[in-house]
Amino acid sequence: MTDSAVASTERSVQVKLVLLGEAAVGKSSVVLRFVSDEFQANKEPTIGAAFLTQKCRLDDHVLRYEIWDTAGQERFHSLAPMYYRNAQAAVVVYDITKAASLQKAKSWVKELQRQANPKIVIALAGNKVDLVQPSTSSPDANASSEDDGEADDATATPGETPSPEGEPETPRQVPREEAQAYATEAGLLFFETSAKTGENIVELFTEIAKKIPVEEILSKATSNRSGAAGSRAGGARQDNVNLEDNGAKSKDACNC
Amino acid sequence: MISTSLRHFREPTKDEQTQLFFSIPSSTLTDSKLHDIEKVDINSVLTLGDGEEEPYAGKLYIMPPYLSFASLDRKSVRFTIPLATIRRVERLNARAGIYALSISTWHGLRFVVQLTSLRPTADAFCAVLRDALKVELQRGQMKAVKAFVKTCYSEALVPSSSNVADNEREDGSLIITEEKGGDQMQERSYHGGLGLKFKFPGDPKKLREASKIKLWTTYLRAHGRNLTLLRYPQCTRLVQVGLPNRLRGEIWETLSGSVFLRFSNPGYYDRLLEENKGKTSTSTEDIEKDLHRSLPEYAGYQSDEGISALRRVLQAYSFKNPELGYCQAMNILAAAILIYMSEEQTFWLLELLCDKLLPGYYAPSMHGTLLDQRVFESLVARCLPMIHDYFESVDVQLSVASLPWFLSLYINSMPMVFAFRIVDCFFCMGPKVLFQIGLAILKINGEKLLQVQDDGGFLNVMREYFATLDQSAHPNSSDPRSRAITRFQELLLISFREFSVITDEMIINERKRFRNEIIHNIESFSKRASVRNLKSLGRFTKEHVGLIYDALYKAMCIVPPPPAVAPPPSLFTTNDGHEEKPETRIELRTFRYFLSEIATWARDEKIVLNGLTRRIDREVAEHEFIDRLFYFWDTSCRGALSFQDLVFGLDGVMFNDLMDNIEWFFNLHDKDKDGNLTKDEVLTLSESLLFIFRFEIGDAYLGAVSRFMSNAFEYGDALLPQSEDGSPVEIGSNQPYLNLATFRMVVLADEILEAFFETDLVASFRLQPLPELELPVANTGLLSDIWSTIATDSNKKIFNMFTDEIGKTIGKHQVIHRPSIGRITTLQEPKARESLLTPSMRSSASKSSIQSDSSSPTKSATDRSSPLVATPSSSTLSIDMAALTLKDVAVPEETGGIPPMQMVHAVNAALMERTPFAIDDAKEDEDSDEDTDEDVDDDDEVMDEVDAFLEAHDSGLTEEDKKVANDLLNAEPVK
Ligand SMILES: Nc1nc2c(ncn2[C@@H]2O[C@H](COP(=O)(O)OP(=O)(O)OP(=O)(O)O)[C@@H](O)[C@H]2O)c(=O)[nH]1
Ligand SMILES: [Mg+2]
Repeated sequence: MTDSAVASTERSVQVKLVLLGEAAVGKSSVVLRFVSDEFQANKEPTIGAAFLTQKCRLDDHVLRYEIWDTAGQERFHSLAPMYYRNAQAAVVVYDITKAASLQKAKSWVKELQRQANPKIVIALAGNKVDLVQPSTSSPDANASSEDDGEADDATATPGETPSPEGEPETPRQVPREEAQAYATEAGLLFFETSAKTGENIVELFTEIAKKIPVEEILSKATSNRSGAAGSRAGGARQDNVNLEDNGAKSKDACNC
Repeated sequence: MISTSLRHFREPTKDEQTQLFFSIPSSTLTDSKLHDIEKVDINSVLTLGDGEEEPYAGKLYIMPPYLSFASLDRKSVRFTIPLATIRRVERLNARAGIYALSISTWHGLRFVVQLTSLRPTADAFCAVLRDALKVELQRGQMKAVKAFVKTCYSEALVPSSSNVADNEREDGSLIITEEKGGDQMQERSYHGGLGLKFKFPGDPKKLREASKIKLWTTYLRAHGRNLTLLRYPQCTRLVQVGLPNRLRGEIWETLSGSVFLRFSNPGYYDRLLEENKGKTSTSTEDIEKDLHRSLPEYAGYQSDEGISALRRVLQAYSFKNPELGYCQAMNILAAAILIYMSEEQTFWLLELLCDKLLPGYYAPSMHGTLLDQRVFESLVARCLPMIHDYFESVDVQLSVASLPWFLSLYINSMPMVFAFRIVDCFFCMGPKVLFQIGLAILKINGEKLLQVQDDGGFLNVMREYFATLDQSAHPNSSDPRSRAITRFQELLLISFREFSVITDEMIINERKRFRNEIIHNIESFSKRASVRNLKSLGRFTKEHVGLIYDALYKAMCIVPPPPAVAPPPSLFTTNDGHEEKPETRIELRTFRYFLSEIATWARDEKIVLNGLTRRIDREVAEHEFIDRLFYFWDTSCRGALSFQDLVFGLDGVMFNDLMDNIEWFFNLHDKDKDGNLTKDEVLTLSESLLFIFRFEIGDAYLGAVSRFMSNAFEYGDALLPQSEDGSPVEIGSNQPYLNLATFRMVVLADEILEAFFETDLVASFRLQPLPELELPVANTGLLSDIWSTIATDSNKKIFNMFTDEIGKTIGKHQVIHRPSIGRITTLQEPKARESLLTPSMRSSASKSSIQSDSSSPTKSATDRSSPLVATPSSSTLSIDMAALTLKDVAVPEETGGIPPMQMVHAVNAALMERTPFAIDDAKEDEDSDEDTDEDVDDDDEVMDEVDAFLEAHDSGLTEEDKKVANDLLNAEPVK
């Protein structure tokens, strides 16, 4: 997980990130895993949107994610612009066991590319990869994958080939290659993740962080007193970017 | 998905608003007898039978099959009771000039209404009442009451004289069900929720359940219950301190009025489930996803029993209202309600919520949610301008926090025990409560909110606040009483005191104010989405496609398409993920409107001159050619066109050059696509041309078509294989006859046709919205002798088919048809075209016609009321009940012990004098002996809380009026 003690002199950037995707693909679960390294089997659907924060430490600076986790059902769609406005990053989530959810993801990507901040960094996340992996035999460490040079220490079995002993109960409906090809074509980061096992979750957010044009944001923000994203028309403010106000708090987060 | 449903919104009529206020279900009654009975109302004074409550002036309504009353302030006292619960109505023998009725209800409650309007009005009112009661008796509703009340918990709580043996003392069995406990569950006949089995949330001790049950028992005994409940100020106050868990479901049902839906639709819920068994839909899929995600921490939803109940209720609602179906947040509401209510009760409450209390909140467009967010914002601007302005300055959006508040009735935002108390107030006092609470939350946190920098900061303040609602509001106060006030209590007090200015009327008006803005936003959003979701724009720009969308939308407003249906579910899911979603498709009728927006020849535009004014009448043209185009564009053969089909269809013609157009037109008429037109098809094609040219000025076009035909037949014949004698072989009219090359040749032989295919055809499709009209001064050229130009006799007869049509045109000299092509203008020609009614003008026109329609019955009702004045002999209205085993009106007697009602009354009287905001200890309580000391403390605390909600209630009567009213309690019935 990311760091907690941050020297106040360290360069820090505030980044607004929005999660989009069909209902029940696991958006809230992905955030929960990232923010407090937890998983809840039955997570209530998000109404409107939930807001959480988490830091992400890179080599020479700290990124403070302001995460907007949105509701997935189609009819909440018209509310989404309220949350993705000014977002610098987006994670579009689908469920690898539900083909239709990729379709929905594609339409979100399309919308973001046309409607949102033109420089937005978009990542595509195929979630619930644990469902198609042998759950009985492999410990968590083995479950991480071999994404885009995102070489973790373990060598993994390819996700789409279920090993003989652990019969997955839910069949995969979206082949990894298909999603990868689409992501490449659309210029997206791509990961297959599992909020349940934690696979690729931190990697997902770290890769996004690397692609955020930090220098640009920082230089823009110098006119503001704060180190924040600078996308706001804030007047005088006492910003608290470096305050440790995440993690613990988010555990009792309600969807307010 | 394109929806025009928002355009069809109609503001509720005054009648409907009254019905809404009294929680009277919209009439779906098929019983015509009941329909015949008019709605009447009359000024009156209500006095409760035991004289414990003050008399209140107000208005009494008959809205069959209900009797309703509201005090003048519309909030202190009110009731709605089904007429079927009325057991006896008597005219009282009183002082001259006073007209009073004594009314007894099923629960043995007696009240007196003094009709203070003029005598004829009172007589008429009585006549209607009598008729309505008769109809209810005939409908068997009176019997239904008996079975129905058994399903209510209050019947077990307050055994009524009708089902308790004589020797059974009433006060002895006060908490009868509490004592029996949960193990006798199988015996209960009353409905209840999961809480009975899985426990209710919260600590009963802390919630002071026993005291609350006691207070309610007292109240219900004296004021009626379930179907016959009368709401006096005490009722509202008892709700404000929080309903006891066991009674909560029933009080919700009673106060919201959903009990009337359940009462008037017996067996409906079960039938609905039975009839739709095994049915699946998008909604059922969505529901399935959320079943285990609804209050998962509650024990009942960790069991199959709770999950199945939740599934059934949500599915049943989606079957009842497929258009709404299922919206996330409904699962949370339903799950919460099911803790306190049976499935059937929950179902009806859900219906009431979606339909009346939170209108449009869960609709596919969620327009109600968006609208109320806008209304809330405007109320914040008005009541808390500092916060509003500050939020605006730092670009913080209220909705990021407030939208879920409204959408899930705060259940999702704060600890459940607190949220349920808000829900209590919501069902009791109506939707304004959501706004009042929201405003109070902002106000209480005002200081912190004026520090936040962004949406996230705003949410953090809110989250922190909701997590500490159980803490003291004044932790540093020296007064222990004030220290004891929790933040939640403070929230309610501020909501109802400082924001009592927020009324239902205000919200209705604000909604009216912002509705168009919201609809516009939603529509332009869905337009953008529709355009974005097209697979291809063809060669059009986004703007062009937007214009096509506008035309489609306009057409759909006029001729709504059938509801979009998902294609039948395929047995296996395709791996490529190209599952089809339900999509809006228009049928031929809508298509005609659509095309008339775009193609000049697809509409008949008539300039009508009548000497005084000129106007343009516009009609949608109907012709085989248009239908042909429809099927030509329906490439997937569904008998309906999607937005994409229309874009492709137009793309197929609007970018064509001369040769493309000739081929396009040829293909359009080549039905079997074999590359040849038959003789019949040549005729049809000519007809199409004539249709397009039907309003061109002069004879040139007619001539062109006739030349085309003669040439076509000449070349066609020439190309046929020759028989031996040199004459062409006779071929059937449905045999291949003319190929594309020949057709092209024939077309190019004619200048006018060439021009038509070169530019005019494409130009006749116009995406630009119609510009302002400019009225021409013109006259139609008369037909000259065109028939002579037709070459052969054999072809001539075809033209006769059109003579009727053309004759019609000639006949109307005062009507000028606007030409579709307009190339030949021997006379001054209109350049511009008519501006159509904008959709909003149209809808307002239709709206007003609806309004006048629906108001007319009322008018005639009042007109008719005078001849219906009752004859004096019928001034005593007494209903013989089937169940006359009942004893006469049983007014609660003064028993040896202190009647609880008197205690409450005394306490109230004492409390009334105090400063409104104080929560202090002055309390003159006449202890009832069965209370333990602890209970007394509990009761005190509850009463203190009750006290905090005391408001001055104006009965609207002078002392003298009150005396008159009270005297009536002792008056004898007229013999
Ligand atoms: N096996 C498995 N289940 C998951 C995973 N992520 C989420 N889930 C489950 O999927 C369901 C939906 O998860 P949520 O995180 O609430 O989904 P969401 O996308 O936030 O849903 P909405 O808020 O309704 O849009 C929950 O029951 C989760 O437990 C995962 O990685 N693996
Ligand atoms: Mg969620």
